Amino acid sequence: MAGVEWVAPSTEDEALRYFSSDPPSAVVPIAGGTDLLLDLEAGRVGPRRLVSLSRLPWRELEWAPNALRIGSTRPLADIQADPRVRQAVPGLIEAILAVGGPALRHRATLGGNLARAAPASDVIPLLLAVGASVELVGADGHRTVPVDQFVRASRETALRPGELIRRIVLPVPRPSAYRWHRVRPVNDISHVAVGGSFDPGTSEWTVAIGGVPPRPQVERDRTLGARPSDAAIETFARAVAERVPLRGDLRASEGYRRRVVAILVARTIRAVAMADQIGSDRGSAA
Amino acid sequence: MSYSVRPDALEKLTGQVLYGVDVERPGMWWGALVPSPAAAGRLVAIDASAVADEEAVVVTAADLPRLLPNGSGDPERPIFPSTAVRYRGEPVAAVAAPTLERARAAAARVRVRLDAEAPVEDLDRLFPDWPSPETMRDHPLVNGHVLARFGPVDRAFRTADELFQETYRTSGVHQVPLEPHACVADATGSVWHVTTSTQTPFGCREDTASLLGIPESSLVVEGSWVGGAFGSKGSALLEPYALVLSRASGRPVRLALSYAEEFQLGRTTLPSVLRLETALRNGRVVGRRARLLLDTGASLPGGDFTLGYAAGFLLGPYGAPALEIEGYAIRTHKPPFGPHRAPFIPQVAFAIESHLTHLAAHLGEDPIRLRRATVWTEGQTTTLGQRVGPFGLDRCLERAAEVVRAWRVDLPAGHGVGTGAGFWSTGAGAGGEARVVLTPTAVEVEQSEREIGSGSVLRGVAAVVERVLGLPPSHVVVRYQDTASGPFDSGVFGSRTVAALGQAAEKASRRLLTVLQERAGLRSTPRLAVADGRIVLEAPGTSAPVETLFTDSERRAGRLVVDGRHYGRAEGGIDPSRAVVGEFHPFTDFTAAAHVAEVEVDRELGAVRVVRYHAIHDVGTLIDRRTATAQVEGGVAMGLGEALTEEMLWRDDGRLENPGLLDYRLMTITDVPPIEVEFVEGFRGAGPFGAKGLGEIPIVPVPATIAAAIHDALGRPLFELPMTPERIARALAERTVDRPPVGRGAPA
Amino acid sequence: MTSGARVSLVVNGRRREVADVPFGERLLDTLRWRLSLKGTKEGCRAGNCGACTVLVDGRPMLSCLLLTHEANGASVTTIEGVEALSVGRAVVRAFEAEGGLQCGYCTPGFVMALVGHLASPGADRSPAAVRAALEGNLCRCTGYASIVRAAQRAAKEVA
Repeated sequence: MAGVEWVAPSTEDEALRYFSSDPPSAVVPIAGGTDLLLDLEAGRVGPRRLVSLSRLPWRELEWAPNALRIGSTRPLADIQADPRVRQAVPGLIEAILAVGGPALRHRATLGGNLARAAPASDVIPLLLAVGASVELVGADGHRTVPVDQFVRASRETALRPGELIRRIVLPVPRPSAYRWHRVRPVNDISHVAVGGSFDPGTSEWTVAIGGVPPRPQVERDRTLGARPSDAAIETFARAVAERVPLRGDLRASEGYRRRVVAILVARTIRAVAMADQIGSDRGSAA
Repeated sequence: MSYSVRPDALEKLTGQVLYGVDVERPGMWWGALVPSPAAAGRLVAIDASAVADEEAVVVTAADLPRLLPNGSGDPERPIFPSTAVRYRGEPVAAVAAPTLERARAAAARVRVRLDAEAPVEDLDRLFPDWPSPETMRDHPLVNGHVLARFGPVDRAFRTADELFQETYRTSGVHQVPLEPHACVADATGSVWHVTTSTQTPFGCREDTASLLGIPESSLVVEGSWVGGAFGSKGSALLEPYALVLSRASGRPVRLALSYAEEFQLGRTTLPSVLRLETALRNGRVVGRRARLLLDTGASLPGGDFTLGYAAGFLLGPYGAPALEIEGYAIRTHKPPFGPHRAPFIPQVAFAIESHLTHLAAHLGEDPIRLRRATVWTEGQTTTLGQRVGPFGLDRCLERAAEVVRAWRVDLPAGHGVGTGAGFWSTGAGAGGEARVVLTPTAVEVEQSEREIGSGSVLRGVAAVVERVLGLPPSHVVVRYQDTASGPFDSGVFGSRTVAALGQAAEKASRRLLTVLQERAGLRSTPRLAVADGRIVLEAPGTSAPVETLFTDSERRAGRLVVDGRHYGRAEGGIDPSRAVVGEFHPFTDFTAAAHVAEVEVDRELGAVRVVRYHAIHDVGTLIDRRTATAQVEGGVAMGLGEALTEEMLWRDDGRLENPGLLDYRLMTITDVPPIEVEFVEGFRGAGPFGAKGLGEIPIVPVPATIAAAIHDALGRPLFELPMTPERIARALAERTVDRPPVGRGAPA
Repeated sequence: MTSGARVSLVVNGRRREVADVPFGERLLDTLRWRLSLKGTKEGCRAGNCGACTVLVDGRPMLSCLLLTHEANGASVTTIEGVEALSVGRAVVRAFEAEGGLQCGYCTPGFVMALVGHLASPGADRSPAAVRAALEGNLCRCTGYASIVRAAQRAAKEVA
C-alpha cells in the first residue's frame, strides 16, 4: 500500500466527486477499515486513493414509526450500547457482539460490513433475516435496495461504480435472534451462523444462514406461526439444513456444518419465539 | 491479605520496558527473510536481479564465505540451504534495507527457483498401517529409534486373555509468545553484538557462534525484556541472519518476525500417533506397551532430542509387571521440532492418562483408585529403571479424589468431572552461576537471565536469597548482565530457574553469611536485617551495619561480592538393561500434579465449556506462593488451548493453513474458568529449601484432564487432540465405542 | 500525487505534529516508530490479539487497524499516558496489587481496554461486563486469572 493517497471529504457531494473522477478500482471508500486494511496490507486491494467516510455526517441513529435508520459509518459499539435497539431488534445486538472484540467494534461499521460483503460477516445474516434494506447514494441520486438484493456473493455487492452506502434501514420492532457456532466463543470466525426473525404482521419467519457459499442463504416460512411446536421447528430446521449449499474447509467439514445448520436454525427460532429472548444466552453452548 | 508485588509490575504497566521488538540503534537498517516457496526440492538458483532497490543488500549461502571470518559457518547446519530445501518457509536468503517496507519489498522480488518435489507431511499417509520393524529398519525418513523393555513383556502379551488397545493422535501446537522473535545485530566491529529476545543468552551465544563459525568470545549477546517464550526463544533463530545482514550492510540490522512467519518458522511440537496396549489377565494388568510415531519435521540427522526424552514419559508415572516402549522419530517437510513448554508431554499424558481412564471404565473401577494402585512413589523405579526421588503424585491423586467427590454432589446434567495426572523432570541444563553483592543498603543478585514473564528470575531467585539472608523483598534486587559481563547460566528453560539458578544464588547467599560470620567472629550463622534503611548483621547479642565488616577495598568499592555456582546432576542413571535401542535422557528431579476439571458439553454441537478447574501440585517446598500460583494458572490455560482449540494445520504441499491468531485459537478470557491452585509440600526436590521447578508441569495434565471430564459427561472416549466441537460431535454420532487396533482412534 | 502528509494528534495530552506520514501508515507504527512510544505493542497486526489497543478520543481502538490519518485531530492516549487519567491510575494500581501480568507484552492492551471501558460514561462495572470488555485481548502467560482479579478490583475502586 505504498503510495496510496487518502482523502477525507466532509460533505456527501465532495465524497461522491472523488468516485466520479476515477476508475472504480482506483478509488476505494474506507469506513472503519478493520477488514479493508488487512486486504490492503496483503496487497489483495491496491487502490490509488482511499476516500475516508469518517468525516461525513453519516452516523445517525434515527427512529421512524416503523423503521430504524442507522448511518452507514456509525460504529458497531454505539449500536450495541443502545438499549432501544436491544428492545426493537434484539438479534442485531447478538450479531454485533459476535463481531471481533470490543475495541474492533468501536471502529467497525454496519456500512463497512455490507460493502465488504465478507463471507463470514456476522451482521449480514441478521440484516437479511430482519428484512433490512440499504439506502445508496451516488451521482444519480438515492436508491433503496433490500439487503437480500444488495449482497450478491462473497465480496460482491450491487453497488454501482461511484455509489456509497448512506444508511441501513431496519423494520422495527422485529423479534429476532442470532446464533452462531465456532470453536472458540469470542474473537473467532463463525463457521455457521443463523439470523432469524418473525414478522408479526405477515406471520412470516425468515432465517438467514451464514457461512454458506456464495452468500448467506435466506429461507422463509409462513406455516410455523407465532408459537411453533418443537416438532414443527425440527422439521423446518432439518429441511433447511438439507437444502442449503455447504462446503467444508479448514474450519469445519461439510457434514458437520450441515448438522450445525439444523441445530442453529432450530435454536434461533426457539430463541425468537421465547418472550424473554435476550438474556445471558450469548452463544451456541447455551 | 499481603501482596508481594512483582518488581517489574509498574514498569510494565506503564509501558516502560523494552522488548526485543522495541530495540532501535542509530543508523539501523531493517531485515527481512526470503522464504522457500516449496516444502521440498532442489535449489536451482536464487536470483536477486529483480530487486529494484539499489541500496538493499541481499545475502544468500553464496555470500557467506565473504561475510564470515572463517568460511561458511557450520557445514552440518548451514543457515541458508545451498542444495535442497527442507520445509516451506525455510529462509533461503535475507535482505536488509533502510526501512521495513523496502526490505520486505526487496525480499518479495528475490526469485527462488526450485525443482520442487512432493513433500512428506502426514504420518497417516506415510504409514496407513502401523509400520512393522522391517518397514522401519531402513526407512529413509526414520531419524531416531528407541526401544526399552522391562520384565516378561512377550509372555505377558502372549498369555493375556484380553488386550486393551487404543490409538491416539495429537496435533502440532505452537508456543505463540505474544512478542514474536526479534533482535538487533551489529557486526560492524571486531566484537559482534546482538540484542535479542532470548530465554538463554549464553545458549544463544553458543549456538549463534557455532552456526557462524566464530569464537564465542567475539560475540556478545544482550538479552532484551522477553514478551513470552515458552521454549521458543532458546538457542538461535534470527540472530545469525541479522548478524550476516549487518556484516553485509555495514549497519546495525533489526530483524523481527511477523506472526505469519512466527508460525511458519516455528520450531515447535509436531503431530504424533501413539498406540497404547494393556495386557489383561483375569481383569488384572500384566503388561503394558507404548508405541510412538513422532513427526520431528525437518530435524537434522541425529538432531532430535525429543524422542529419547519423551520415551520415559510414554507409560506415565505408573508401574506394571512388564513394560515396553518403542518410538520412532520421523522426518517430514515441516519446520524442525522444537522446545515447547514440556515439549510433547501434554500430548503423551493425554494418551496414557486417557488410556487409564478408559481402562478403568472398562474394568468398572474408579479411575483415580486405578492410578493410585501403581503410581510411583519414592524409591521405586521409572520405566527406564531410574530411581524415583521424593514424589508426591499419590498425595495429589488422593486430594483429587476428594475434589471429585465434592464436585459430583449436585452435578448438573450434561456436565462431567474428570481427573488427569502427569509428571515432569525439572532442573535440566548444565548449570549456572550467580553473584550476590552486598552493599550497605541492599543486596543485589547479579546474573545473566532476563525475566521472561513467569517471575522465576525477578521473584523466584530473589525469594531464595531473601529466605537465606532474612531480608524483605524491598532490599533484594536482581540485576541482569549480558554475556560479556555476567556469570554463566544455562538459561530460563526446563523448569530450572528457581531449582538450579536459585541454587547458585542460594549458595552465594550462604557463603556471604559464612564470610560475615567469620569476620564478625560469631559462633552461629548470622542473618541480615534492615535498620534505618541500612543492612545490618544480626546475631544473638550483635547488630552491626554490614559495612563495618567490609575490607578496605570493599569499603572503597561499596560492595562485598560472593559467587555461587550450581551444576546439576541426574538422579541415578537409566538402567542399561532396560534401554535396548537408542539414546534416552535421564530425569533430574521429579515433580507431579493431578488436575480435576468440570465441563459442560453441548451434546448437539459438541462444544465444551470448562466450568471450573482444580490443580494440585507437588512443588517440594513453596518458595513464593503468588508466583507459583500464577505459573499454574497460566500453564493450565495454555493446556486448555492444547486440549480444545490449538492445532496447526498443514496442507499436503507443506503450506501451513492457519498461520495467525484467527484460526490458531488461543484461549480467551471467556474460555478460561476459575482455577483453584493447591500445593502439596514435603516431597522435597533438589532445589533451594527442597523446591522443585514449576514452569512446565502445570500444562502436562490438562488435555488428559479435559478428556476425562468429557468422557465422564458423554460416556464416549476421545482419541485425538485438540478436542474440537466437530471431533466431539463425531464421537457422539458413533453407534458404538470403537477401539480399532490400527488407524484412526475415532473413525470418520 | 503526494503519498503522505502532516498529521496533528494530541498524544497523552501533548500536541504532536508529525510530518510526512504516509497515507497508508497505521497509528500503531506512527506511535512506535515516529513518536518512539514503544509501550503500545504490535501483536498479530490483524485485530485478533488486542496488544495494540489505545484510546482514540476515549474509545479503545486497535491501533494496528487504524490509519494514522484517520486519527488526525484526535486525542490519543497510550499506555505511557495512562497515569494521567484517574481511571488509569486505578487500573495500574489494581494490576500491580493483584500481579495481573507476567511477561507484560499484552499488558498495555489490557490496561487500555479496561481504562476505555471503565472511563466510558455509564460504564457497566459488573464482573461480567468487565470481563467482556477484555474479550478482545489475548494473554499467553497468566491464564487471565490474575487479570480478572485485577480488573474486578479496578472496577470496584473506580466506582
